[in-house]
Amino acid sequence: MRHYKIRFYVLASFLFLFPALLLVLQSLSKTWRFQRGEGIRFQLDSFQVLLSDPNLWSATGWSITIGLLVLLINLVVGITTGKALTSLSFRGKSFIEAVMLAPILVPVLAIAIGLHLFMIRIGLADTALGVVLIHLVPTVPYSIKIFQNAYQQLGRSMLDQPVILGSNPWHQLVTIELPLMKPAIRSVTFLTIVISLSQYAITSIVGGGTIITLPMVFFPFLDTANASIMAAFSVWFAMIPFFLYMIVEALLWLLPYSKKMRRTTT
Amino acid sequence: MRLLSLLGLLTIMLLSACSSQNSSQEFSTVTEQKWSEVEADAEDTTVRMFMWGGDEGINQYIDDWVTPNLKEKHNVTLERIPMDTGEILQKLQTEKQAGKQDGTIDIIWINGENFKNAKENKLLAGSFTSNLPNFNEFYQTDDPAFQTDFGTPVEGMEAPWGKVQFVFHYESEKIETPPASFEELKGWVQENPGKFTYPNADDFTGNAFLRHILYASADTPSDIYDSPLDEGSISETAEETWNYLNEMEPELWRSGEHYPNTLTELDRLYSQGEVWMTMGYNEARAESLINDGVFPETTRSFVMEPGSIGNTHFLSIPFNSTNPAGALTAINFMLSPEAQLAKLKPNYWGENTPISIDKLPKEMKEEFQSVDRGQSVLSQQKLEDSFLPESEAAYVDWMKEQWFDEVVQN
Repeated sequence: MRHYKIRFYVLASFLFLFPALLLVLQSLSKTWRFQRGEGIRFQLDSFQVLLSDPNLWSATGWSITIGLLVLLINLVVGITTGKALTSLSFRGKSFIEAVMLAPILVPVLAIAIGLHLFMIRIGLADTALGVVLIHLVPTVPYSIKIFQNAYQQLGRSMLDQPVILGSNPWHQLVTIELPLMKPAIRSVTFLTIVISLSQYAITSIVGGGTIITLPMVFFPFLDTANASIMAAFSVWFAMIPFFLYMIVEALLWLLPYSKKMRRTTT
Repeated sequence: MRLLSLLGLLTIMLLSACSSQNSSQEFSTVTEQKWSEVEADAEDTTVRMFMWGGDEGINQYIDDWVTPNLKEKHNVTLERIPMDTGEILQKLQTEKQAGKQDGTIDIIWINGENFKNAKENKLLAGSFTSNLPNFNEFYQTDDPAFQTDFGTPVEGMEAPWGKVQFVFHYESEKIETPPASFEELKGWVQENPGKFTYPNADDFTGNAFLRHILYASADTPSDIYDSPLDEGSISETAEETWNYLNEMEPELWRSGEHYPNTLTELDRLYSQGEVWMTMGYNEARAESLINDGVFPETTRSFVMEPGSIGNTHFLSIPFNSTNPAGALTAINFMLSPEAQLAKLKPNYWGENTPISIDKLPKEMKEEFQSVDRGQSVLSQQKLEDSFLPESEAAYVDWMKEQWFDEVVQN
């Protein structure tokens, strides 16, 4: 057993940690011509370029705000729809399920242009709310699917029990469903934020330059041969999901039974 | 019940959105004004300039030089919004369709195919260059380079902001004398297998490289750039072009089995020393890359016979700009000798100017001539002597299709 554990850690650090460290190293050094036997030359210029961009901080702020709003809506929609799809049975249910997955199958850009037209008409184009709404398109289907599975795993009896004991739905959600679905909440958090954060085309079309998110500052630099700047941007970019994940993890601690799980169950 | 109220809300929003349209003024009423009135109207306003943002030198030129100086001189606030030109046009297209007259964009940076699309779809405000005092005073307004843009008549709808010329870069430590013609280049590639390649035809730069060979294969380059695309009449030239490329292919990097997808990939290969040459529009682009340590310090540039293609890029105003007076003032300022001089200096952008040096006042002229653009940049004389104009935009697409069939498939 221990043997496997060690092997796991070695493999995982080689495949995940090592590339990330290389990225950090690249962001702090000049282009490294290792084929010519040159050594690494350290520098901080790439981070200076990054920090000198006047849009950087506001873009980071927008990305975080939009990411959090998208996450919040995803949790509400995902939990309610997921629960409904598991506990109710009605005609045409499989059809509804298929429709809810459709946005993943159709390219978002194709939907975005139609939605942009609609948003101009109702005055949501070039607003943060419009960007939040368009970010729901590529995220909500995943959330619904994840929570649907989570409720299925909880099982019917677990959902019936609190009703028999006379709990109201809110109490039931906070004390039973959410604590038991923590893994699902974590998955949705990570997935939603990463997807929302990396939307370039739909954000720029619907946000119209009024809302500048991080990818709009960062993606044009994919065209530069200066790998150090790219690496610096990537490191900055990666910090955001990490940071937001920590916030959500802290919030999850506020749920009942989080602190002394073992003692309360015995 | 709930559904009904939601529908009601939507209808109200729709109606209110419709009534707010048609608020922006006609563009021609602005251009008919006297210039002093335009500048007065522009005072204390914000101009939003949408432009590609992937080069820190260009970004810093706008943020650190143009914005503060424009504020000081004309009290106009310039906001730079990074966005790809394709997306900008997509946004304008949808806004046009939706009848949105109060847009968010006041200035766009544009040329070539994008300009053609924008003009054909009526996404631009209209003709304005003849109103710009700096354009009239310091530019040779009837220069063919300003009259047509990749074969599309400009008709005053965009103002020349800069010009670039295609050059090749090489490592002077490894190559003593760079090839002087495309024939010599082929010879060099055969002597140094694996040390040369070019981006594929879908890439902007790769496509330009291929058009150079088309120019070189014709009797004279003007056979191509002076005539619209006619596949029948250039078939012989095309045949020679494919032969040239196919003969060179086995000696290219990775034996020509793989071509870099973008210029960025080629630049990375060059920066790693995998290949010994790279290329690109903007004769001065290597300077900042050398300073950042991306390109080797011994990087120099060269052009070959029959010449090197150059083009002009422009600033334009979209149809639904809410601040045309501000846009005109800002564009006029960016065309001014001061702004062009700062753009030419290698500390920000280092890009060439479309201004006519001869028309400048004496001191200004001397300042322009004394700018040291850096060791990797060819002399102005050499660049002007080898200058070749762009062909029509249709050649670009033709090259994309044919190259794949004739060179990759063979």
